[in-house]
Amino acid sequence: MLAYALKRLLMIPPTFFMVSLVIFVVLNLAPGRPGEQAQLSGEKAGTQQRESYRIFKEQFNLDKPVLFNTRFALTESEVKTLLENAYALRPATKTAQRLHAQNELEDTGTYLVRHLVSLLGQTPDVALARAITTQLVQAARRPLRLDAHDPNATVTNRTIAAQNAEFMNWTLPDSATDAEVHTTAVRWQNWWQRNHEDFEYEGKKLRLLFSDTRFYKYWSNVLHFDFGQSTLDRRPVMPTIVSKLRYSLSLTLLSVLLAYLIAIPLGVWSAVRQNTRADTAMTVTLFVLYSLPTFFVGTVFLRFFTEGDPVAWFPAGDFESYDADRMTTLQRLRDVAWHLVLPIAAYTLGSLAALSRYARTGLVDVIRADYIRTARAKGVHEFVVIVKHAARNGMIPILTLLGSLLPVLVSGSVIIEVIFNIPGMGLYLYDAINLRDYNAVMGVLMMASVLTLFGILLSDLSYALADPRITFD
Amino acid sequence: MTIQAQPAPAPLDDAPSYWSIVWGQFRKRRLAYGSLWCGVTLFALAVVAPAVAGNKPFLWRVDAGPWQSPWFTSLFDRNFFESTLDIFFNCLLVPGVLALPACWWWWRRTHARARRPRVRARRRFMLMAGALWLLAFIAINAFATSSPKVLHPALAEQLRSEGHKVLAVYPPLPYSFRDVDLDQVRAPASGQHWLGTDDAGRDVMVRLLFGTRISLTVGIFAVLLYIVIGTVIGALSGYLGGWVDAVFMRLVEVVISIPSLFLILTVAAFIEQRSIFHIMFIIAAVSWTTPARLVRAEFLRLRNLDFVSAARAVGYSEAQIMFREMLPNALGPVLVTATFGVASSILVESTMSFLGLGDITVPSWGQVLNTGRTTGIWTMILAPGFAIFVTVSLLNLIGDGLRDALDPKMRA
Repeated sequence: MLAYALKRLLMIPPTFFMVSLVIFVVLNLAPGRPGEQAQLSGEKAGTQQRESYRIFKEQFNLDKPVLFNTRFALTESEVKTLLENAYALRPATKTAQRLHAQNELEDTGTYLVRHLVSLLGQTPDVALARAITTQLVQAARRPLRLDAHDPNATVTNRTIAAQNAEFMNWTLPDSATDAEVHTTAVRWQNWWQRNHEDFEYEGKKLRLLFSDTRFYKYWSNVLHFDFGQSTLDRRPVMPTIVSKLRYSLSLTLLSVLLAYLIAIPLGVWSAVRQNTRADTAMTVTLFVLYSLPTFFVGTVFLRFFTEGDPVAWFPAGDFESYDADRMTTLQRLRDVAWHLVLPIAAYTLGSLAALSRYARTGLVDVIRADYIRTARAKGVHEFVVIVKHAARNGMIPILTLLGSLLPVLVSGSVIIEVIFNIPGMGLYLYDAINLRDYNAVMGVLMMASVLTLFGILLSDLSYALADPRITFD
Repeated sequence: MTIQAQPAPAPLDDAPSYWSIVWGQFRKRRLAYGSLWCGVTLFALAVVAPAVAGNKPFLWRVDAGPWQSPWFTSLFDRNFFESTLDIFFNCLLVPGVLALPACWWWWRRTHARARRPRVRARRRFMLMAGALWLLAFIAINAFATSSPKVLHPALAEQLRSEGHKVLAVYPPLPYSFRDVDLDQVRAPASGQHWLGTDDAGRDVMVRLLFGTRISLTVGIFAVLLYIVIGTVIGALSGYLGGWVDAVFMRLVEVVISIPSLFLILTVAAFIEQRSIFHIMFIIAAVSWTTPARLVRAEFLRLRNLDFVSAARAVGYSEAQIMFREMLPNALGPVLVTATFGVASSILVESTMSFLGLGDITVPSWGQVLNTGRTTGIWTMILAPGFAIFVTVSLLNLIGDGLRDALDPKMRA
């Protein structure tokens, strides 16, 4: 048993890694990047906006390829074509083509330096040389270290900033002469002589293939429990999600608890009266509840029980009243409970029906068993027969249901939270996906997967504990 | 559906096949059998929706001009029915209505004969008809006409005011699902609009009617898609075992650890201009694990049985053993999951459109319900909710009956 539990526990990290890989790929292969629309609406985007968008991409690693980095394999002629497109050096360059090339050049970053320097030495064309130097400034510039893990960050940053500032003088004006082009080229070449080791990729290719990617950067941060910042409010994502968790978990756990507390007696009651009219009525009622969609029930509750038409028995959504902070603990508890009646009722109905159906079937199977007949023959009281002898065994199947119920309930929180405006994880995810906040979406999905993984593990273990016939050796 | 367990020697004429036993058992469950017919009726309603509601007149004649039927030409008009889905149902409508007498005639002709040839002939006929229909659908879909948009009611009004005599016969509900009536925004239920209008002045009843098409298609096609994926994966891992099994089962574990609705909503939100086909694919992509695990378990059980060893001894190829010998024996539980799957796919689709992450161009039930939520008009909450509820209930009842019919212990 312990070995089994340990084995299952050890399986969680690799599964979690694969889950994160799947989510990551799905999210990042979707077209469009956050902020792209807002920053680059067509022709209007000026240099200033482009630059701020470039820094934004750099900060959130959006300039990196998703899983595999093959940018070191870029050739000089490809770079030249990109430059010509990006700076509209050829007469028939389309806007879309130009924007695409600009994006590509920005994203490729340092991998361009080698080719740019070499191109600068060869070109007789002033316009191309201008484009190259402008691009070089951008590509050779090193980003400031933002990470808090490094104590020497300030010193390093000062050196980097000085170097970056110097690059700005090595560009060419509109009216550059051939001589000027030459001197600038020489400057860059001298700099290249000193620093070329930073931009050579021989022998480092395999490492770069995997390490200079979005996924690698994301995971190396995750290992520090850093799930990135929200692209909207620039605050770290994980603390926000954890603070949302208390709303979602209180909803989910209360609902599961309630469902089990009601479903088991209902199932037992129904099974004992098997094939009577009461049993049929109960089965039909539960069936009806089972087919009612949560969002429909929630909407109906909200419309008919909160708006005063016909009745206003409950508050219209939210987790607690706006002045909950000023209440005493008891008042506040009452307030929250009052707010949660409808969401939890709507949330529980579906799982309640499924659970009690299973509870009924489980008990019906057990009641026919020989040991129940024996117990009755011994003269044990019928109540004890049912509760002590039959129910204990008959309820094992619905324990396993917990494993499949948890993911459904975690998912279902998004519906309930959106309808009742409860600021939990589901509503956070809903807002984040509508605003394309990658890190937030990623964080919520990872958190939800972890919860699900542990939920499934817990239900498997409880299943093994409850039924001594099951062994895992 | 008649699938034989053993293809080779013709079984005795009076020995009923597995599926005919199951069908007989299913018919004995009156609730489930009745639900099946209700479900068929619902599907028929989805097919004939344009004949019930639409703003194109069946018959149209100005003064003594030629008789026209804008209704019929609109059925295959890309400008009127924008979605491939509607063209699909319209293709079912026209040949379907034409084919009914033919089917009846065929049934009468062959009914008197012995059982075997009838079954075989019927199957051949169904296959031929299906293939022909599919070809027709592909052709129509590829060459759908697109004539300029004409609003016939408005045109008739204008022509009448100019002194022409206009004859127009409309369907019973003379609105299309996107007809905007700005004088009737948020109208309550009345004789004119049976369930009122929504906040854009569109008739709710008509939208619900066409929503049947959306829900049923999404449900059925998503399930078909993931049943096929899941069955193939489950069969491979159950039959081959070893590392294939290990890899697929780890994959299954990974997929079920991601809360599915979260993933579905996220993926849907990240697709620009999503259509209901995207939605089907998304649902299929996260739901294939259920049939995969089921089929795998069945294959693990079946692969040690005698008939499989016999097939191997005869020298059948692995693929033949898997898909011709074993698969028919594993299909029962898959069929039950599929029925429940249609119900849950319909729920997922309406949840998505309820949250505004569905296909916004089609009149889905969830979308109507969402409009009801934001406007607070109670007919627009109860009516679509009831539609979803009835459809899902029917499917669950059918699935329940099917499960009992397949269970040898439950046979009466």
